[in-house]
Amino acid sequence: MRIAVRIPSSTLATMRADLARPHPYAWERVGFMAAAATSSPGELLLLVRGYLPVADDDYVAAPGVGAEIGSEAFRKALQWAYRPKSALLHVHTHHGAGKPGFSGVDLRSGGKFVPSFFTTVPRMPQGMIVLSDDSATGLVWLAEDGKPAPIAAFTQIGSRYRRDWSAS
Amino acid sequence: MSWLSRQSFLGADSDERLAGLMVAIGGLGGGGSHVAQQLAHVGVGGFVLIDDDRIDETNLNRLVGGTRQDVIDGTLKVDIAARVIRAINPEARVTVVPRKWQDALDDIRGVDAVFGCVDSVRAKDELETFSRRLLIPYVDQGMDVHEIEGGFLIAGQVVLSMPGGPCLRCLGVVTDEALDEEARNYGAAGGKPQVVWPNGVLASTAVGLFLQTMTPWHVSQHIGECLEYDGNLHTMQPSDRMRRRRDRPCAHKALADLGDPMFDVRQIVTAAKASVTVQPSEALVPERRWWTRFFRMRSQ
Repeated sequence: MRIAVRIPSSTLATMRADLARPHPYAWERVGFMAAAATSSPGELLLLVRGYLPVADDDYVAAPGVGAEIGSEAFRKALQWAYRPKSALLHVHTHHGAGKPGFSGVDLRSGGKFVPSFFTTVPRMPQGMIVLSDDSATGLVWLAEDGKPAPIAAFTQIGSRYRRDWSAS
Repeated sequence: MSWLSRQSFLGADSDERLAGLMVAIGGLGGGGSHVAQQLAHVGVGGFVLIDDDRIDETNLNRLVGGTRQDVIDGTLKVDIAARVIRAINPEARVTVVPRKWQDALDDIRGVDAVFGCVDSVRAKDELETFSRRLLIPYVDQGMDVHEIEGGFLIAGQVVLSMPGGPCLRCLGVVTDEALDEEARNYGAAGGKPQVVWPNGVLASTAVGLFLQTMTPWHVSQHIGECLEYDGNLHTMQPSDRMRRRRDRPCAHKALADLGDPMFDVRQIVTAAKASVTVQPSEALVPERRWWTRFFRMRSQ
């Protein structure tokens, strides 16, 4: 199944600005997108409704990776995605240029926490996305016990329509 | 030198960018036939052409590409547009949908822009609402000829409707009064007056707004646009109503109202597992369209 994600440029800009802010001790910030969905044969379309930053206090120190987000951040995100029912997309940025890739830590931790989102919103797909400064890479799970599929297309809609997630 | 070399100012990679786009055109009559022809000329590569109507003699005064032989043959308007597009760009990817747009949702869902070239106010409203729910830019055009004392008045508008920006209701193109009047006149005999040149002006403006959104040749800071046409003075003016509404959120179509409200990913997963065992009789049962259900809910 081909998976595509569309986002308003204004939401993308808000998200990029938040993720670029330094944190007192976390090396990188994370956040969540809530997305609606629709599908046609062979294609799943995720439509980003909004962005939820993670509060400074919801990061906890973690040996080896600087910091990670605590259970309160996940609770808030799931509460947010519960009504209206939304796909929850975990997002962070590696900065730089070109197509970003998930780190081993990203894949190991994401492979655990993303499927857990199905417990709260079982009718929506769930996923995670990593940004660079001009591109994005993502994985989407269609079922809690399934393997993730890559996101094939990223589009932003604003005063310009772009088939990439670069800063406008 | 390519056939598009004279428009390289549209951007260094504009040929590839435009060739990769897919647009839907709802209505291939006097307005839509112009749009289809121009988009083919600028090198847009993908088209979904939607219209269930066939050409008749009264269309010959304005339908681009239509011929007397088409009238004799009763050719579908979508087939005429497809023929025009392929004559310009044989590599264009063209899907013709000789049905109502509500029956073409799977074809529209993945497009990069929707052009609404329909007469009906209700159809404009529904096409725009559908496009907004899928974060698709929607370009609307319309014109009317009114008899006034001492002559006729030609007026129209082109709207680039972008998610988050003012909608057709904000701009007064769709009103409850117009919807009520249209419903009262449903089935009334006789067509509205239509002529070729205002359609051409409006279609050219619509294509210009589309290209401004898709290519970097001129970057507008505005979300959406509305231009009003005075066919008697032959002028196109920025809409005053748009100027007043520009920096205010749309009061009718919230940016967060997206997608299929009844979506359930478990149905996709289940369908994928069952696809190898589905019985032919089951496969023939049409699925209930979320969009149909959605509008039924809205009208209650």
